[in-house]
Amino acid sequence: MENDKRNLTFFGNGGTLFGIHLVNLFLGLITLGIYFFWARVKVRKYIWGQLEFEGDRLSYHGTGLETLKGWLKALVIFGIPYFVVSQLPRLMGLGRVFVIVGGLFSVLLIMVFIPMATVGSRRYRLSRTAWRGIRFSFQKVWREYVPIFLRGMILNLLTLGFYSPYYQARRDKFLIANSYVGNRNFEYDGNGDDLFGSYFLSLVLAIPTLFFSLFWYHVKRTRYVWDHTTFGDARFECMITFGGMFWLYLGNFLMVLFTIGFAYPWAQVRSINYLLTNLSLNGPVDLETIQQDAQSVNATGEELSSFLDLDFDLG
Amino acid sequence: MEEIWEGHFLDGKTAAQRKAMISPEPDGLKINLDNGDSLVWPYDEIRQAQGHFEGEPVRLERGEGITEVLIVGNTDFLTALRKQAGERAGRFHDPGFRRTRWWLTFYTAIATLAVCFIAYKWGIPALAKSMAAHVPVKWEQGLGKTELEQLAPPGNRLHNPRLDIAIKRIMARLIRPIPHCPYQFRVIVCDVPIVNAFALPGGYIVVFRGLLEETRTPEELAGVLAHEMQHVLKRHTTQRIIQDTSTGLLLSAMAGDVTGSMAFGMKSARTLALLEYSRGEEEEADREGMKLILAAGIDPQGMIRFFETLKKYDKMPQFLKYASTHPATDDRIEKLKEIVSAQTSPAKKGTIGGKIVLAKAPVKKERLIPEIAWPSLVKGLRSSK
Repeated sequence: MENDKRNLTFFGNGGTLFGIHLVNLFLGLITLGIYFFWARVKVRKYIWGQLEFEGDRLSYHGTGLETLKGWLKALVIFGIPYFVVSQLPRLMGLGRVFVIVGGLFSVLLIMVFIPMATVGSRRYRLSRTAWRGIRFSFQKVWREYVPIFLRGMILNLLTLGFYSPYYQARRDKFLIANSYVGNRNFEYDGNGDDLFGSYFLSLVLAIPTLFFSLFWYHVKRTRYVWDHTTFGDARFECMITFGGMFWLYLGNFLMVLFTIGFAYPWAQVRSINYLLTNLSLNGPVDLETIQQDAQSVNATGEELSSFLDLDFDLG
Repeated sequence: MEEIWEGHFLDGKTAAQRKAMISPEPDGLKINLDNGDSLVWPYDEIRQAQGHFEGEPVRLERGEGITEVLIVGNTDFLTALRKQAGERAGRFHDPGFRRTRWWLTFYTAIATLAVCFIAYKWGIPALAKSMAAHVPVKWEQGLGKTELEQLAPPGNRLHNPRLDIAIKRIMARLIRPIPHCPYQFRVIVCDVPIVNAFALPGGYIVVFRGLLEETRTPEELAGVLAHEMQHVLKRHTTQRIIQDTSTGLLLSAMAGDVTGSMAFGMKSARTLALLEYSRGEEEEADREGMKLILAAGIDPQGMIRFFETLKKYDKMPQFLKYASTHPATDDRIEKLKEIVSAQTSPAKKGTIGGKIVLAKAPVKKERLIPEIAWPSLVKGLRSSK
């Protein structure tokens, strides 16, 4: 294969997205929110369908019913127990001891469910995404992430957060290197050492720079993660900059603010376009030989993620 | 005339794209691949995955598990496909529908505004009212107790034996006329110089020293307490929490995030202190409070007089909360007077030109706790701690 640059291009526009959001809003209101699950599928189907890579659009195959079932499952195995231990002692006016013990249990629950949500949502989202008819997948289960997560949390605590870049590197490697397109996986060769200096600097400068240094680190880390992600012999290259991201976010913030939220779809499109025009896959890779290797995953994890209010990116 | 369309074929096994020549025929899509293979897709096995929007290629899929895919860039292909598919045309998107869809979206926008307005104005308050009625009293007490610790911490409370006795006596009088009262009322006096009082779910009533100092008789305080008791009995606070949570749900549903709204709900339950009653709820507490005063045989002029005292706080800055949430308007005082006249002289009740005639009949005047010198008691609170 020839050595070249490949880009993911977005063809969507804010107007169409706005129309989709609007109809979703209406149906969501009259179904008291139940339509939310179908609404999200509609938005994803549109966005995925507007993303083109090497002459083919991505496609999204999730369904509203799947995610609704997943959400209900999450509600039963996590939401209700969480409510019981974290809120009920307070509501029932039980003593301070019960409130504290309940609080501890709720933290424990969260500690188990963050790994579950992280991996589950990634499994679901990837398995419902296809390019050239080939499904993506994530080939590890949440239990395998628990040791990485707990070790990371404990060391972060003991080192007052300075372990964070090392934890992030291990997590990114776990999440990226186990992500597949058909039978071929991505690889990650980043490490904590490379980012430690920047992380340290951003923490030290956090207060004098009014926390902009943390945003600077976030941009740097995003770029670093992409730059250390490979697929076959090809490597991603990310060229987002602090300045670019700053103006993008500021612009989006002002747009959304001055239109009391109505410009949100346009802001969404701006963000996607900014990232994609600064991202490419460089180097030789024989895409034609990728083989199908589909597997199914239930939707629970996906729903847990939004239940816990965590945010995930498509790797 | 047979139409032939150019497109791509994916076999679902590899990522290799193959050129395909496609022609819609009555019994199915005829597909000729560049390697000479030829396929026929029956219409009722085809799903359309993409191609519903301007500029989006038409993507057709066939089969479960390993799925074959056909992609055609030209949207006109859909029109030709629908023509040949006959009664199965409904499986495929009609590009002509896009204009209609635009108008539907537009009307949806209008309908959305209408639904939001109706829900906010009537739907949510009605829902909150019926839900609040079913919350167990025990939960209300638990919530009220936790809130009390936050809003009136024990270190801030004022303990004056004479005042405690006086309040206990007033409360005993006020509770007597309530049949089967599910709440155990507790009045907490806070040593803070603001003119305010508020009720918490489950029967807790917090009165600030500033308010006590403004009362000239125990009857005036009884008026305030009766008003707050009605907020508890009518479950206004509980209702408010449910209402704020539901509004949060509505707003989050608009932002497309169901789970965030749960967090919002929990949060709003924690900011009880910032809750404001609606005008209707205040009027209900006034009305029912005054009825309670009358039923307890307390001089209603006390409550009216205290509302008149509060009028001066109307002109004060908003941070004086009693003034902002309980605006003591002439209108409200007028309504209190009407209740008094209607209740004390039912025989004389009548209207002239729609206005209730004020009765002149004297109200039974038996002084509440006459043995306690009220003004000196409340003026002395500051030094008593």
